[in-house]
Order: sequence, then structure tokens, then C-alpha cells
Amino acid sequence: MEVFFNLALNGLATGMLIFLLAAGLTLIFGLMDVLNFAHGGLFAWGAYSGTWIYATTGSFFIGIIGAIITGLILGMITERFIIKPVYGNHVQQILITLGLMLVLSELLKVVWGPNQLSAVAPSFLQGSWEVGNIIIIKYRVFIILVGLLVFLAVQYVLKNTKIGLVVRAGVMNKEMVQALGINIKKVFMLVFMIGAAMAALGGVLLGPYSGVIHAEMGMEFAILAFIVVVIGGMGSFPGSILAAILVGLSGSFMAYYVPDLALAANMLLMVVVLIFRPQGLFGMKG
Amino acid sequence: MIKEKKNLFYGLIAVMLLVLPFVYDSRSMIILLTQVFIFAMFAMSYDLLLGYTGIVSFGHAMFFGIGAYTIGIFMKQFEPTVPYFLLAVLVTVVLTAILSYIVGLLTLRLKSHFYAMLTLAFAGLFLVLAEKWRSLTYGNDGFTFRTPEVFRDRFDFYLICLVAMILVFVLLTRFTNSPLGRVLQAIRENEPRAESLGYSVIQYKIIASVVSGVIAGLAGILYSMSLRFVNTSVFTMDITLDALLMTIIGGVGTLVGAIVGAGIIEFAHHWLTQLAKVHWIFERWIILFGIVYILAVMFFPKGIVGTLQNMKKRKKHTVENKDDKNISG
Repeated sequence: MEVFFNLALNGLATGMLIFLLAAGLTLIFGLMDVLNFAHGGLFAWGAYSGTWIYATTGSFFIGIIGAIITGLILGMITERFIIKPVYGNHVQQILITLGLMLVLSELLKVVWGPNQLSAVAPSFLQGSWEVGNIIIIKYRVFIILVGLLVFLAVQYVLKNTKIGLVVRAGVMNKEMVQALGINIKKVFMLVFMIGAAMAALGGVLLGPYSGVIHAEMGMEFAILAFIVVVIGGMGSFPGSILAAILVGLSGSFMAYYVPDLALAANMLLMVVVLIFRPQGLFGMKG
Repeated sequence: MIKEKKNLFYGLIAVMLLVLPFVYDSRSMIILLTQVFIFAMFAMSYDLLLGYTGIVSFGHAMFFGIGAYTIGIFMKQFEPTVPYFLLAVLVTVVLTAILSYIVGLLTLRLKSHFYAMLTLAFAGLFLVLAEKWRSLTYGNDGFTFRTPEVFRDRFDFYLICLVAMILVFVLLTRFTNSPLGRVLQAIRENEPRAESLGYSVIQYKIIASVVSGVIAGLAGILYSMSLRFVNTSVFTMDITLDALLMTIIGGVGTLVGAIVGAGIIEFAHHWLTQLAKVHWIFERWIILFGIVYILAVMFFPKGIVGTLQNMKKRKKHTVENKDDKNISG
């Protein structure tokens, strides 16, 4: 029972981290029809900048805010200079964002050195609670709460505010929204920045969770995020959180019971989804 | 006329490269050029997908890696003789053909996004497999192996790789100029139109993916034979990225471009890592190439060779126009 509970908690926490990465990916894809292969790079940049700011200022929350700001700035630069020239051309988008991924992860090594950095949770999030025989690690609960909070906030903004209305309308019909006098380009940029900020938030939260951060982790998590996006359905926000939790849980349980198959399980899940439901579990378009 | 000139030019370069080891006796240069030839084959196979059919694959390393591991395992587990070498080549061809067929069947009917993501994921799967199947692959450390007597000499191996590259080049040139190759280019230019003309697009795409996968596997064989060592790095994203950089910088949709690109990247890699002793920034030479690559995708989507060809065409065009005016005037 303890094992089961611990694995579930672990899986949920990983799932929430993947969700933060996948959510930005799927939002950007849904609205702008751009698949951002550099998203993992933004994730890694969030992790490094956040951990570094936390280490220099000593405040975890300033670190988180720093990571989010890094994400926003990088998102703005990326949208303006990299994505904008290649709207509408899928092949070029894929190629160019992959190139950016390359540059981003190499730049990380220039700024912070090629070795991995260690990251620790702040003291008030260290340790664990014990309920009967079950050990609940505080930091994992914290990640799950943050993930839920982000999900609810984005969901609220999308469903209940004017800007959310514009974004949702933009996903359905870009030209119509433009015809109604809304500057859709600004909206695009905003969505891209928020997506990048979510990835950066995911990155900085990952640091204390895994203990170390390294430049290659962007690509590792990006693959998981792609799997999530495919399973959940491109452009579906609720789909991405469910698929992320699914992938997180299956990852943690498989790692315990059949460690050799952990990554293969997710891949097989994706292959099955692609064969029977290519648009994903919650996807609207194929 | 122009075609003859072009062929003469290529022939001249081929002869120069053939003679080179007899004239210029430098071991490191021979080894470097061998690498160039091997990666040129790999980049050409990638170009068949990206440049001629318009498919973006991020998992091309898996075919390369399969070739590299197959030869390694055959030479290590059995004996390093020519028959086993031939058997390994056969197994590589069969494995890569089957794999590229299955991957193509699963994903090529989907949008380009899905193909890119899925191939990335598949290559990841093979990387994990190579790491975990320790009894056969020795995990992350990899293993050394001996090659058949015939391939031991560096100069002979240089010539073998050169001939292999020329063969692949000639074959692929014929292939892309065949009616089948024309259909592939039509798919790249306008997929719905090719489909409405009655071509079964998916089947043509699968053919391209199989041919490309098999050639990548053969390049992988030569690669691990040149090192006499294989480890999991042959399955990593870096290998695919190399092919991508070579094709994009050299020139998409021109086989010569892939060769030029392979030369540029390999030589730059060699020299820039040597420069790392001067300043550590040169160790991060990928940044430079990443930026060049991004700029190339944006401004020179045809790469070096394609841009040169365009310039030549335009020049010819203006000259012809002038002639027309003279005649009419």
C-alpha cells in the first residue's frame, strides 16, 4: 500500500511537470498551428536561470519569478525573430525550431558551464509528513499543487475572460477574429510568451525534484511532452493534463515494476493512440 | 552540354580524391576524409527524405545505429571474416527496410509534425534498447571489435568509402531522376495535387523512406567499421542533427549539397575542436552552426549549392534576355 501510494504521488508530480511543458506546447499549437521543437530548450533555460537566481538571492520564490520572467523574455524573442518569419510553413517551422533548440542548449553550457548543477528545495519544503506508514514528501505535494493551480488559472482565463474568448475564437477562426478588429498577432505573441513561461516554471520546479539539472534535460522532457501532446490531442488543454498524468503515472509504476520498459511503455501507448485515434484522445482535428 | 560539363567536373573531383592518398600521405587527413565520405552517404540518404520528398525525420539516427550495431555484433559474436561481413550487410538491409516500412506505414499518413515527433520517439526507443540490452551491446560503454583483413588498411578503407559514396551518389541521382523520383518531387511541391493526379502518395513516401533508411544503415556499417568501435552515441540525436545540418547548409534537394555539407561540417568540427585549445568558446562550435543553420532556413532555404545554382540560372536568364533585345533591336 505504501509503495502504491508513493508511486502514485511520484507519478502525479512528474505528470504535473510534464503538463507544464506540454500545456505551452499544445496552446501554441492550437492557436498558432506551430509545433515548437525548441520548447524543451525553454524548459531547460527556466531550470538553469531559476536555480541560479535562487542560489544567488537565497529566496526560492524570487527564483521562480526569475524563471518565469526568463521564459517570458525568451518567448517574446523567439516568437518575434524565429517563429514569425515562418508562419504557415510546417517543414520550415520544424527545422528552424529544432535549430533554436540546439542553440539554446549550447548557450546554456556557455553561460553556466557544461557540468550539471545541483538544486535543493528550500528548507520549508524539505522533508516529509508521515501519515501512518505512508511517507508524503512535501516537495512533491507542492509540485502537484502548483500544477493544479496553473491548470485552473489557465482554464479560468480561457473560459471566463475576454482575452480567453479571443484566444479560443482565434483557434477556431483566425480571419474572423481579425476581421472583428482584434490584433491577432499580439494575441499570438502573448500566448507564445505564456507558453514559454509555463515551460520555464516547469523547469525550475524540476530542479529540486530530481536534485540535479543538466543541459540535455530539455530534450529528454520534450520527448515526454510530445508523447503527451499526441496522446492528449493536439491543441486540447484538458487533454494535455490528463495525458500528462497518465504518462507520469505509467512512468513511475513501470519504473518500479518493469524498469527496462519504462520509456517503451509511453512510446507504445503513443503508437496505439496514433493507430486508432490519430487526432488524440481529446483532439478535434486530425 | 551543361550536363556533360557538370559530369566532367564531378568526374575530375572523383579522380582527384582517388589519387589523393597516393600523393598526399597524411594519416589524419585520410581518416578525416573517410569520415566525410561516410557522413556524405548518410546526409544524401537524409536529403532523399527532406529535400526530395519533403519529409522531416528526427529519427534518422536509428537506421544509422542499426547498421553500426549489426556489423559490430556480427564481428564480435562471430568471426571477423568477409562472409560474416556480407551477412551483416544483408541483415542490416533487411532490418532497416522492415523498420522504415513499419514506421512509414504508421506515421506517413499523418501531418509532418507527427512524423517528426514519432521518429524522434522511435530513435529514443532504440537508444534505450541499446543501453539496456547489455548482453549484446555492452550498454553505454559500447565495445571494440575486429574487422576483416581486407578492411584493415586505412588507405584501402578510404578507397572503399570513396567508391561507396560515388556509388550511392550515382544510384540516388538515377533514382531521383527516374519517373518515381519525379513523383516524389511532385509530392514535395504539392501533395494534394499529386494525389489528385492519381498517385497513391503514401506508397511513394514509404518507398522513399525505405530507400533512405537502407542507405543510412549502410553508412552506419562503414562508420563503425572505420572506428572499429560502437557505442550508444550512434543512436543519439546528435547523429540526426549532423545529417540535418549537412543537408540544410549544403543544399536541400541537391545530392551534391549533401556531400558539400558533410565536408564543411566535418572539417569545421575537426578544426574548431582543435581551436578549443586556444579559446574554450570553440568547444561550443555547435552554437555557430546552429545560428548559421537558422539563418540558412530563413534566408537560404536551398543551402549553398542550391543558392549557387539559382544565381547561375538567373545570370543565364539575364544574358538570354539581353540577347533577345539585341536581336529585336
